[in-house]
Amino acid sequence: MYWLSKKRTKIIMLFPAVTLFTLYVVIPIFIMIYYSFYNYSGIGIPEFIGFQNYQFLLRDKTFFCSLKNTIIILVMILVLILPCSFGLALMLNQKFKGGGIIKAMNFSPFVIAPILVGLVWYFILDPKIGLLNNLLGILGMEGLQKQWIGGKTLTPYSVAFVYLWQVLGYYATIFLAGIKGISSDFYEAAEIDGAGFWKKTVYITIPLLKETFVIAVVLIITGGFKIFETVQQLTGGGPNHLSDVLVTYMYHTTFTISRYGYGMAIASVSAIFSFVCAAVYLLISRKSVKGEM
Amino acid sequence: MRKKQKWFRKTIFFLAVGLVTFLVLFPYLWIVQLSFKTNTEIMTTPFSLPEVLSLDNYKRALETLKLATMYGNTIYIALFALFISVSFSFMSSYCISRLYFKNKKISNTIYLYFVAGLTIPSYIMIFPIYRITMSLKMMNSRWSLILPLAATTLALDTLLFVGFLRNFPKEIEEAAIIDGCGIVRLCTRVVLPIIKPILATVIVFNIIYFWNEYPISSVLINKEDMFTISLSVSMFKGRYSMDYGGLIAATVLITIPEIIFYCFFQKYLVDGMTTGAIKG
Repeated sequence: MYWLSKKRTKIIMLFPAVTLFTLYVVIPIFIMIYYSFYNYSGIGIPEFIGFQNYQFLLRDKTFFCSLKNTIIILVMILVLILPCSFGLALMLNQKFKGGGIIKAMNFSPFVIAPILVGLVWYFILDPKIGLLNNLLGILGMEGLQKQWIGGKTLTPYSVAFVYLWQVLGYYATIFLAGIKGISSDFYEAAEIDGAGFWKKTVYITIPLLKETFVIAVVLIITGGFKIFETVQQLTGGGPNHLSDVLVTYMYHTTFTISRYGYGMAIASVSAIFSFVCAAVYLLISRKSVKGEM
Repeated sequence: MRKKQKWFRKTIFFLAVGLVTFLVLFPYLWIVQLSFKTNTEIMTTPFSLPEVLSLDNYKRALETLKLATMYGNTIYIALFALFISVSFSFMSSYCISRLYFKNKKISNTIYLYFVAGLTIPSYIMIFPIYRITMSLKMMNSRWSLILPLAATTLALDTLLFVGFLRNFPKEIEEAAIIDGCGIVRLCTRVVLPIIKPILATVIVFNIIYFWNEYPISSVLINKEDMFTISLSVSMFKGRYSMDYGGLIAATVLITIPEIIFYCFFQKYLVDGMTTGAIKG
């Protein structure tokens, strides 16, 4: 490749991507940090106020409520997605007629616009006209009818279930890719020793998929922080911000009530939070993987 | 005895697969079923099948939806953003992974620079991108969206392209160069066919993202004739405030084409992921 590697060629090839990336991905980080130290409402000149936005954040009940909701969603989706998608991947790994179509069907919610997903689920979860409560009513289980969305407590749990629906097939496909990568020698050896399906899964598949599990957990954590449209469509953060998550609260502060500086303080803190969650998990899992080797 | 056990297991297995798939598909079926009902039926008897298959909801939805504008805008934005993101990231990835750098650290640093973008959550960029767009005086234009959308995909594209190229032997390209092939012809005639599998995956993932993007679009565009599909959908609840039937029919009308689209390209998606493209 040496012959073609003139300096000019390299610059021409790198320049467009580097410029675009710097302008719209790297510079925004600095803009965000900059504004988080200012008081700015869109009119006039931003006023420097030091750490006041961050101090305000510590006393803001709505912020902690949205943080709590975000954590509930994160824990719920980790608990739900990992076993469900891994189980689905185990099923799809069996060869049977129509397996391809089944795989495609389970993947399909992933390609639907998240904003439509929120709308579709609105007709299932809405306490008055939604399917869920009506179904419970018909089955004579009125006691179980709940305010799945729009109430005081349950919205984050519902959002977690909707998210499970959205990404189940996606994570199942990631696990399936991992399972396909395991050499069949292991299974054959185990079969000779008389291991059944469950033993093979527990002693071969899961340990060998450690890397895939690590990646999946990191993807779920970072993905969970991004949930936005579903909350926006289901409740809009209401009533009275009780169902807001960090992103919707940030969006509300920034664009609805135009407190740009404070919004950016929320954005910085939640970005750091998401980063730390993923990093801590990566560090722990690296250590444990190394420790065993 | 054994045969019976095996048969029993198989039944359980298919029941389980069938149940999961049914649960996944159920929300679609539910709203399609609702879409043929009148508003009173939706409110009072959501479970009974619609008495007559009425298309009124669809008529009302079609009257209010500006399908041509929203599809036109979305297709325009998706195509140009796709062209930019794929061509830019392909050029830079090829340069990083194949061209000769005296100091290997330079190419590695550029690679890390791009890939580090994966750790930045996209939602923190919403307001900064809004500021940048304002100062470039580009609000409410299609290009104001195309550039940031393309930019946010560069990190993943670079990861996928470089990952693929590094695992692919470069002998074919070297042979072409010895035969006197220039860089432009090399990239378009020799390399493009080689990277087809990963290219398909990149294209499909990018299109899904461009097609569905909502948070960034929602702050850059507020004029109705510039609305993308996602933006129009976000207005549904306000527009059809008491008209559930119209709301549902509009939802179905937008969802169905996405599913049909998906049926065509799902092979590339699922295959691309299973061959290990997204693993790392």
